[in-house]
Amino acid sequence: MIFRDNNKLFRQSLFIIYAIMFCHLNAFSQIRVSGKITDEKGEALIGVNVLVKNTNNGALSDLEGKYSLEVPDKQVVLVFSYVGFSSKEINLEGKSELNVILSESVELLNEIVVVGYGTQRKSDLTGVVGTIKSEEIQKFASANITQALQGKIAGVQVVSGSGRPGEAPIVRIRGTGTLNGASPIYVVDGLILDNIDFLNASDIASMEVLKDASAAAIYGTRGANGVIIITTRQGAKNTKAQVRFNAWQGVQQPAKLLALTNAGEYGLLVNELSNKPVFTDLNALGSGTDWQNEIFRNAAFRNYNLQISGGSDQMTYSISGDAFLQDGIIRSSYFNRYSLRINNTYQLASFIKIGHNLSYVQSAANREPGGIVFNAYAADPTAVAVDADGKFGNTSVLSNVSNPVAQLKYNAYNRYGGQQLAGNAFIDIHPLKNITLKSSIGFNSFMNKSKSFEPEFYVNDKQRNPESRLFVGNSQTSDWQWENTAVYQKDFKEHRVTLLTGYTVQSRQGEFLGGSRNRLIGDTEDFYFLNAGDAQTATNYQGANTPERYESYLFRSNYAFKDKYLLTFSFRRDGSSKFGSEKRGGNFPSLAFAWRAKEEPLLKNLQGLSNLKFRVSWGILGNDKIPTGAAIPTVTNNLSAVFGPDEALIFGASLVTLANPFLQWEESRSLNGGFDIGFLDNRLTAEVDLYHRLTTKILVPVPIPDYVGSAGNPYVNAADVVNKGLDITLNFQNKEGKFNYKWSVLGSFIDNNVISLGSTGNALRDVVINGDFATLTQPGYPIGSFFGYKVAGVYQNAEDVKTYPNNNPVKPGDLRFEDINADGIINAKDRTWLGSPIPAVNYGFNLELSYAGFDFNAEFNGVYGNKILNAKKMFRGFGIPNFETSFLNRWNKDNPSNTDPRITNGGYPNFVVSDYFLEDGSFFRLRTLGIGYSLPENLINKMLINSLRVFARANNLFTWTKYSGYTPEVGSENVLQVGIDRGIYPLSKTIVFGVSCHF
Amino acid sequence: MKNKLSSIRLILVIMSLFLYPSCGEDFLQVKPLGEINAQNFFQEEKHGGWAVNAIYNQLRSWDMVSFPYLGMTDIVSDDAVKGSFPADAERLNAFDDFTYDSRTPEDIRQTWKGYYQAIFRANIAIEGIPKIPKMNENLRKKWLGEAHFLRAYFYFNLVRWFGQVPLITKPLTQEEFYTQQRAAVEKVYDLIKSDLNLAISSLPLKSALDAADLGRVTKGAAAGLMAKVFLTQRDFSNASKWAKEVIDSKEYSLFPDYARLFRKEGENGVESLFEIQATALEASWAGATPFNMVQGVRGSPNLGWGFNNPSDDLVRSYEPGDPRRDATVLYVGEVLPDGSGVIEDNPSMENERYNQKAWVESHPGLQDNGPGNIRILRYADVLLIAAEALNELNNPSEALKYLNQVRQRARGTRTTVLPDVVFTDKLTLRERIWKERRIELAMEQQRWFDLVRTDQAEKVMKNVGKNFIKGKHDLFPIPQTEIDLSEGKMAQNPGY
Repeated sequence: MIFRDNNKLFRQSLFIIYAIMFCHLNAFSQIRVSGKITDEKGEALIGVNVLVKNTNNGALSDLEGKYSLEVPDKQVVLVFSYVGFSSKEINLEGKSELNVILSESVELLNEIVVVGYGTQRKSDLTGVVGTIKSEEIQKFASANITQALQGKIAGVQVVSGSGRPGEAPIVRIRGTGTLNGASPIYVVDGLILDNIDFLNASDIASMEVLKDASAAAIYGTRGANGVIIITTRQGAKNTKAQVRFNAWQGVQQPAKLLALTNAGEYGLLVNELSNKPVFTDLNALGSGTDWQNEIFRNAAFRNYNLQISGGSDQMTYSISGDAFLQDGIIRSSYFNRYSLRINNTYQLASFIKIGHNLSYVQSAANREPGGIVFNAYAADPTAVAVDADGKFGNTSVLSNVSNPVAQLKYNAYNRYGGQQLAGNAFIDIHPLKNITLKSSIGFNSFMNKSKSFEPEFYVNDKQRNPESRLFVGNSQTSDWQWENTAVYQKDFKEHRVTLLTGYTVQSRQGEFLGGSRNRLIGDTEDFYFLNAGDAQTATNYQGANTPERYESYLFRSNYAFKDKYLLTFSFRRDGSSKFGSEKRGGNFPSLAFAWRAKEEPLLKNLQGLSNLKFRVSWGILGNDKIPTGAAIPTVTNNLSAVFGPDEALIFGASLVTLANPFLQWEESRSLNGGFDIGFLDNRLTAEVDLYHRLTTKILVPVPIPDYVGSAGNPYVNAADVVNKGLDITLNFQNKEGKFNYKWSVLGSFIDNNVISLGSTGNALRDVVINGDFATLTQPGYPIGSFFGYKVAGVYQNAEDVKTYPNNNPVKPGDLRFEDINADGIINAKDRTWLGSPIPAVNYGFNLELSYAGFDFNAEFNGVYGNKILNAKKMFRGFGIPNFETSFLNRWNKDNPSNTDPRITNGGYPNFVVSDYFLEDGSFFRLRTLGIGYSLPENLINKMLINSLRVFARANNLFTWTKYSGYTPEVGSENVLQVGIDRGIYPLSKTIVFGVSCHF
Repeated sequence: MKNKLSSIRLILVIMSLFLYPSCGEDFLQVKPLGEINAQNFFQEEKHGGWAVNAIYNQLRSWDMVSFPYLGMTDIVSDDAVKGSFPADAERLNAFDDFTYDSRTPEDIRQTWKGYYQAIFRANIAIEGIPKIPKMNENLRKKWLGEAHFLRAYFYFNLVRWFGQVPLITKPLTQEEFYTQQRAAVEKVYDLIKSDLNLAISSLPLKSALDAADLGRVTKGAAAGLMAKVFLTQRDFSNASKWAKEVIDSKEYSLFPDYARLFRKEGENGVESLFEIQATALEASWAGATPFNMVQGVRGSPNLGWGFNNPSDDLVRSYEPGDPRRDATVLYVGEVLPDGSGVIEDNPSMENERYNQKAWVESHPGLQDNGPGNIRILRYADVLLIAAEALNELNNPSEALKYLNQVRQRARGTRTTVLPDVVFTDKLTLRERIWKERRIELAMEQQRWFDLVRTDQAEKVMKNVGKNFIKGKHDLFPIPQTEIDLSEGKMAQNPGY
């Protein structure tokens, strides 16, 4: 109700804003202007952006450097901008032809950046927005374009959670603001999405990261974890067809393999921990089976992309097709994606434009057999993979895991994939001078299918399947969004004003359907349909996700005085269906101010200093990333009981989890201060930002005691967290003759601190490993800090055991923990803070060189100051899994180690959470190394090709780290569980060769 | 022309005002689809039945009838050893060796969690059923009786394992999550007894059950459990009172063939007071328990994982010729009870013998689809409770009557074995009854509770070479995670 009443008020104020706009009714007609744009040497510049100042009316120059566009009158100012050249603003002064010469510059200030619901000149920005352009995005060979952000924009952390083909990395903007769902949202051509797996790199024109509250506040409840705006490529008006073809292919292999004990070493350790020797002749064991070798491979991947774009004065078009085909480094896994995109605009009349951005994607993938990475890690190396008779070795007796090679044969059919149609259609109306109205309908619709088949097989008593079985699942999701905005733009002498208002609604809905049957009538793929199974064994399910709905009103004003003082105010009111009716509405204001000090008379003529701008901003953002139903618990069905002489299954249902009807918005208030500075004609630039973000009422599923009896943890508005940080970016570029070079350095320093935990008490604990919570979140410490025992040494003898009494029985050779509270006995009270999973520093270093036709680039990135819990090493499970070679340093009579304990197979104290399993997570990685050669123009022009470049590129070539796992990048979507390595699909290093040409 | 364009523009401006609409009042009010939620649950009669069935459902969960349960009952006692291959689930050796602690093996925490989730479901039913607006009042009473019985059963096991435990009698609210304390043992027993009293007064006799309700708990089950509760508290007069209430009801008798009692034909039979109901369905394992699988013969025939093997000490402790030994233990070389195969030697198994009481006839699906009902309370147990209590009350003749009924049934038609026990003195008879309990109920997860209840644990476990520490191992440790989450409000049991 609260929301309703305010709506009325809000709509009234919108009307007033309209009224103000209409005071400037001014009809106008259209006049055509054309000309040619060249550089200082007289060579035509292709693709120069020509814009009527303060409007969206513009065109691009064609292959001959010619442009043509309609202007409302002959007194307008045209803005000519081109990357790498100084922009020019020229008043038409009644001319209808205007030839322009642009001079090369490293001045980038007039670059246009995309912001929420519009665009702005970079120099006009008051908020903090990081941009990355298409060339950068294409440098990293990956199915997911967010990989390209890694090490490129200060304050953006990208963690490749796994090397599984097609899998999305985890993205964090400016640290971890929240305890839950800390991922940013993506806005693709205006469409708000949580996931952008369907986009391919070649289609992207730019990605902008809205980092501070001022930039992101226009997204209100969705913006608390940052916003990434993605703009896809468009055609340009009045240009002939441009054909771009890109192709590359390459190979991937695991970036690193783990050091595990071989058969002889494993046998030795097994004998040592068993009462009587299991292996009588250790020498006979040899090196045994290297299971990692058995499951990994050198995997091929390739990408082909063809794009055709152009336009007349009536329309623009861009059509592209892309095929991304990736085999996984684990045998049997792959990810193939085919996509088609059509982005067109149509000028219906001088003041009406309609258009659409449509993308259709089809994907087909196969997932590796379940648990195979862990099984290869744990499998008994004394067992053979396959013996001479073709029988699979038995890895279940000692290590108690499935034979990974047999899994590749029997559990390898796990298909998934589907179709996605995403895009929008819009209409732009320019009814009056200074006013632009836009309405856009967006949609995103998936149809996903999965199918997995397991034949009848027998490997051993534990690894077997007596009946073939088929599972199928279908799901479909349909989201739509309707956005309406009105923009008013006006210059009054020294004042420049832009007002934007808008109304948006969004809805998400989904359904799923699936089933299984056993005893298929055939074992080959053409039988993988439920109808081919025995109907008596049928199971099925069908259901729907609770719909999610949003309704929002938004407003933003930008004001510039003398182009020196810039002010932005924005406000958004959001309603979300995820909350109870009492807590539904939320208000999200922001305010920002920037001062272009360089424009002051005092500095204007200062030699050397080419730019100086100060910025400060404040704003409130929200986060509602909780599952629907978190506020009201749902009844779980099919909790059936067995009764009666026929032993019938009698339906049962109940509440098994608790929910919280008082849930409300999580809010974050952030303050940002920073400056941009440029020297030597902006050859050297720096951007520095300092921020303070307080997130209150954080939404999190709180681990609660088991005695509460809830089968899941209820969400509560639990904690207040502060992120303080510093983002620095330095760029330098220069040119000496034919030699161009450019480098950039960026770093972000984050201090994450929990302020209070509200009603949940003094601490939040999560992730039970071997009977202990491994992480502790408490005021004064970073979120999800590691908590456990500190190792002081190893009990050397019975004397030691007496000297350092332990609450639990210990033996010589066991880890000796520090008596933290010095009460004379080692017990649970001696556990303490062990370190933070959040890096203190994220940094990157990029270098680009070019000489004549050759180009070279190298990108490095790294993190410093975080810890990783090597949890896979702590897992001893049901048997005696294989050991990491570090266990060979064990304490024993011949090796009285004071750092490594005797060999045991789980239990206190050697396998509980202690810093023995905590490792330094810092790393420095050569992420990209690329070289390219563009063929000389005189050579290729004869072949009717404009440009032709061949290139080679390597990704993840070297990583310098102390961490012993597959990769030090260990992420998690849940921030209470970050930095815990449970054995993941390893990261791969890749080398690709490719060609790109432009006709 | 120009005028026309201008007017179009004007119309567009006016139209644009309507681009700021407001969706209907209901746009943000969404309902879960295909689901009932807390707001419309307990609105109809059938919801009450669903909620009660959901409590029974939890009885079949891994946490309540597999490793956690067997580890904390049979394996920890002198009746059984871990079993399976030496390296398989090695952590369960902690129960055999008394090396478990507040963290490991995780099975202790699983028990705790599984039981409290069961209590949660019972509390949901107990709180919700009275709120159902319109329903058959007899049904309401009966369903509430079942929920109270089951809650009493859950707390009875918890209090015997852990001693003082948080006493949760309704779904907790957010403010109450972390503030619970361990309730005094007496308080826990008070709740158990009041729950059982309510069950006794609300539940039908077994003979009055509708056929379709076979397997639901009854008045007799509640009275029998009450007898055991009092016996555990050493309130022998009440124990004998409630045991005799069951005996005198004539609702129950001993199943003639001890060996067949544990097969399908013995399920819910004349001797049965309370069993966890299970069945093997063709399409899914929705009616099964893991109980049969984890204890099934490992190797050939391949019936399960081979855990919880009867110990040497148990096998030795039978009187000569006691047929119950062969009915309890499956040996290598033995023909399976239904004649379907012979157990072959599996060289990877140590101490290879199996719990025959967990063996089941062939059934649809894999070994995971365990269909065997798990016997929780049977008439022989009640007779022995009566015998033990009556002996303590100095009524040996009646005690002997019940004791010898049990022996007589075990003996069957054999005349040379298991002679009737005759009275010598109270102390000897007490030992005889305890011994009879061990043998009669061997591998039925009763032994550990009896050892602790009768204070024999230290002596008996030391005898079999186990490092049982009195004052520590009488109780299991509270999971460390619970102590940590309570921020010190919950204390650990002594010695851990």
